[in-house]
Amino acid sequence: MGKPKANVDKKKCLACGGCISVCPQDAISWIGNKAEVNSEKCISCAICIRTCPVGAISGEVLA
Amino acid sequence: MKYDVVIVGSGPAGSVTARFASEGGAKVLVIERRAEVGVPVLCGEGISRKIDAWKIIEGKRWIAGKMDGARIYSPDKTCVTLSAEQAGNETGYVVYRDIFDQELARSAIKAGATFMMNTQATGIIKDADKIKGVRAKRFDEEIEIQADIVVGADGVESKIGQWGGINTRLDPKDLETCAQYTLTNIDVNDAYCDFYLGKEIAPGGYIWVFPKGKNVANVGIGILASLSEAGMAKKLLDDFIAKDPRMKNSSPIRFIAGAVPVANPVETVRNNLILIGDAARHVDPITGGGLTHCLEGGKIAGEVLAKAVKAKDFSQDFLSEYETRWKEAFGQKIKRNYLVKELMLDMDDKTFNKLANALKDVKFDEISTHGLVKEVAKHLPISTKLNALIKHRKEIKEIKKK
Repeated sequence: MGKPKANVDKKKCLACGGCISVCPQDAISWIGNKAEVNSEKCISCAICIRTCPVGAISGEVLA
Repeated sequence: MKYDVVIVGSGPAGSVTARFASEGGAKVLVIERRAEVGVPVLCGEGISRKIDAWKIIEGKRWIAGKMDGARIYSPDKTCVTLSAEQAGNETGYVVYRDIFDQELARSAIKAGATFMMNTQATGIIKDADKIKGVRAKRFDEEIEIQADIVVGADGVESKIGQWGGINTRLDPKDLETCAQYTLTNIDVNDAYCDFYLGKEIAPGGYIWVFPKGKNVANVGIGILASLSEAGMAKKLLDDFIAKDPRMKNSSPIRFIAGAVPVANPVETVRNNLILIGDAARHVDPITGGGLTHCLEGGKIAGEVLAKAVKAKDFSQDFLSEYETRWKEAFGQKIKRNYLVKELMLDMDDKTFNKLANALKDVKFDEISTHGLVKEVAKHLPISTKLNALIKHRKEIKEIKKK
C-alpha cells in the first residue's frame, strides 16, 4: 500500500488557491475552478491538508 | 490571436494594468478563468482612503461604508483605538469588492482593453527560450494567445511566475489562510473596524469585524498556514462567532475562503514577462492588505508596458523600470513590515497584553500600520527588542542602509 495522496473534496473547496501556493511540488492546479491534485506529483507532505481553511483536503491511499 | 500584452487575471492589479497600458496605446487582452469579474469575492474588503487622491476608481457604488477608525483588541481584550477624529485624517472604506473590481474592469475596457471570461491559462508559449504568449482553455476549447508581454495577475496561486522561471512558491509561514462570513442581523452599528489578536483566537493572524452597513459585517479570520491544521481557520471563526453576544441572532449571507501572501516580494520581471498584485506578493505582511498596492503597482506596470510597446523593447532590462518604481512606491514598506511580522510571531500573548495596556490611552496622530508600529516600538520590553536585534540583525541592517 502506498503513502496517502492529497485529495480535494470539490464540493467543499471554495477555490481560495492557498493549497496551490504552498505546494512544494507544483502538484495542484485549477480544474474547472476547483483545486485538483496531480497524484503522480504529490509527495504526501500534507502541507496543503493543513493549510486548507475549510478542511476540504484529506489524505487518501490510492488503490 | 495576437496582442501586445496578455494579462492573466482580472482582479484589481490586472484591470488597472490593462487600463494604463491601453491608455498608453498598447493592444491589451485580459483573460479570466471565472465567469464574472470579482465573483466570488475573496477579500475582507477593507481599503485605505488614500486611494481618494489617486482617482483610479470612479463613482461610489463600490463603497459599503466609510470607517471612523479601528480598534485592536489584545488577547485579554484590552482595546487600542485609532480614530480618525483624533488623528485628523481619513481612515478607510469597507467596499463591495465585486462592484469595485467590475468598476476597474469597466475603466480598462473604456480605455480599449479586451476582456475574455471563462478562459483558464494552461501554459506559456515559448519559442526556444523566448516567451511568445499563453496557452489557454476557453470553455472546452484550447486556444493560443500570441503576445509580446505576458502579465501574471493570477493571484496568490500564480502559475505564470512558475512557468516563466520565477519561484513564487510560498513557505507556509508566509501565507495566511482565511475564512470569512458576511453576517447579517448582527449587533454592530458603529463605523469601526475591529481586530482581535491572540494565540487562541487566531494563531499568527487575527479575527476581523468590518461593518458593511447597518447590522451587516464581514467577520473573518486569517491564521498562519504553518500554525494551521486542516479546517482550523473555519473552526476558530465559528468558535469566535458562537461566543460573541453581538452575533447571537446573526445569520450568514456569504461564506468564503481566502489565502493571503505575507511574504517578501519576489522578482517581478523577466524577458517578455512581469508579475503584479498578489502574484508579485504585493501585500502588507502585517495587515494582509494588498488593494492599494494593486492600484499603485498596476498603474506603474501599465505605464511601463505602454512604453515598452512603443519602443518595441520587451527585454527584462527595459521592463525593470516597473520593478524599480514599485520598490520605490511600497517595496521598502513591505520589507520593513515583513520583519515586523516576524518579530510579532515571536511575541506571546502576555507581551501583546502589556503593549495594549501601554497604548490604550495613546492618541495616534497617524492611522496606519507605520504609525502603530512606531508607537509599539517605543513600548516594547527591552528583552523583546534585544531578541529581535540578535535574531534579525542582518535584515534590520539592510533596511536601515536604505
